[in-house]
Amino acid sequence: MLKTIPQGSETTMTGTDSALKPRLKRRSTFEYVAWVLCSLIGIGILISVSTNPNFKWGVVASYFTHDTIVRGLMLTIFLTFASMALGTLLGLGLAIMRGSSIKPIAATAGVYITLFRGTPVLVQLIFWFNVSALYPNLTIGIPFTNIGTAVDMNALMAPITAALVGLTLNEAAYMAEIIRGGFSSVGKGQIEAADSLGMSGAMKMRKVIIPQAMPSIIPATGNQVIGMFKGTSLVSVLGVAELLQSAQLIYARTYETIPLLIVAASGTS
Amino acid sequence: MSNDGTILAQKIRKSFGPKTVLKDINLEIASGEICCIIGPSGSGKSTVLRCINGLETIDSGVLKVNGEDFGYYETDTAYHAVPPKKLAQQRTRVGMVFQQFNLFPNMTAQENIMSGPVLVKGADKKESAKRAQELLTSVGLAGFGDYYPAQLSGGQQQRVAIARSLAMDPEIMLFDEPTSALDPEKVGEVLMVMQDLAKKGMTMVVVTHEMGFAREVADSLIFMDDGYIVERGDAREVLRNPKEPRTQAFLEMVL
Repeated sequence: MLKTIPQGSETTMTGTDSALKPRLKRRSTFEYVAWVLCSLIGIGILISVSTNPNFKWGVVASYFTHDTIVRGLMLTIFLTFASMALGTLLGLGLAIMRGSSIKPIAATAGVYITLFRGTPVLVQLIFWFNVSALYPNLTIGIPFTNIGTAVDMNALMAPITAALVGLTLNEAAYMAEIIRGGFSSVGKGQIEAADSLGMSGAMKMRKVIIPQAMPSIIPATGNQVIGMFKGTSLVSVLGVAELLQSAQLIYARTYETIPLLIVAASGTS
Repeated sequence: MSNDGTILAQKIRKSFGPKTVLKDINLEIASGEICCIIGPSGSGKSTVLRCINGLETIDSGVLKVNGEDFGYYETDTAYHAVPPKKLAQQRTRVGMVFQQFNLFPNMTAQENIMSGPVLVKGADKKESAKRAQELLTSVGLAGFGDYYPAQLSGGQQQRVAIARSLAMDPEIMLFDEPTSALDPEKVGEVLMVMQDLAKKGMTMVVVTHEMGFAREVADSLIFMDDGYIVERGDAREVLRNPKEPRTQAFLEMVL
């Protein structure tokens, strides 16, 4: 066996030519088989999808720029970014509260996070939409006095408000945990260095902790944005005409269910 | 007489949970004194330093820094923790240099040095920038202001960290094993900066394993073991002629 391996001295004796030869990676036979197999499967699916008339690609194409769909897409985008922005802000507040050395503050944030992460967002959305059953009037004013004004909750909790409130409050709980995770990724030495310079808590947060926590917060937040973009389809149960609801409105009339779902799905991706 | 630059500790005790790390610490450091603390790891020497800067709170005893009760104020019955603002103000007068440098990686060397004066003291940015340049020059890093910590060697980072502490114009500088995380060939440059500082009359407390530095620069030397100060005296005297058997054993191992 050993004799079949070329001797090192032979190759060095042939001089510079051998030294210049490229070194190729080993490709297994399986790699070639995989190429062929996966290509065949892909081509098969492509042919099937494009030749099956039931997909009605013409219908799909025609609805892409349909007014209802475009409006739905706009609303989906608005809901995503509005609730992400508000949720992140609220989440930041919750994350700071959660790390507070004052027990009741930390506990309050903890309970909030557990509650809102622990219940389905669909249930939360329906709850906020129907909250007027619990509190018919929303009173803004000083507790235990007559100062303040009352707002009719039923009018306030229009579907879109309920959607925004529900998504925001739910997102805040998730963002709080992401931000808290980011905070704890900042080394103890950094906090000690800031302390020893006499930085106040807020200054430390703004100049030392948050900038260093960002690299671990941003990728996770990207995930949340994607999740939220798709998650907005849940608010269709409240009758908010976001992308899915808009598509449903059309196919309820035309019975072109699959083509319109494809339109809605392409809109999100 | 001004007590600026002095440290006084009496009967300091400190425990972490069930483990008592400082058992009965008494020390007095005069203004301008260079004091080195040596001892085996776990002897409590870093904890002493961290207490002087308020990174740890003491359980009992008296701690006066710059002639003032540190972190607490005394009443007839107890010591009460001072409000955060007061603690921060007291800390600005005590500079701390860490083993791991702890520069802020999101700021350049110059921004690191300016962070204290600008963010804490509200100093003018232009003046602080000029001061930062001077400090960088004084630690041998002129022209390195725009570098981020990650672009600097360990020795350079530590010198920036010293400059950052100096920017606050402290009366006292604490060094927690400032050269222990450095390549052997970078140790000298940091010690040189510290030696310069010593000549300028700064009160310095240095936890170190650099016996050469202790011998050449320090006025006094403290040997700690198991939460106690075992021996304290003139640095050269203790190193040459330790009285306590525990000190003798330790010095035999390290010298």
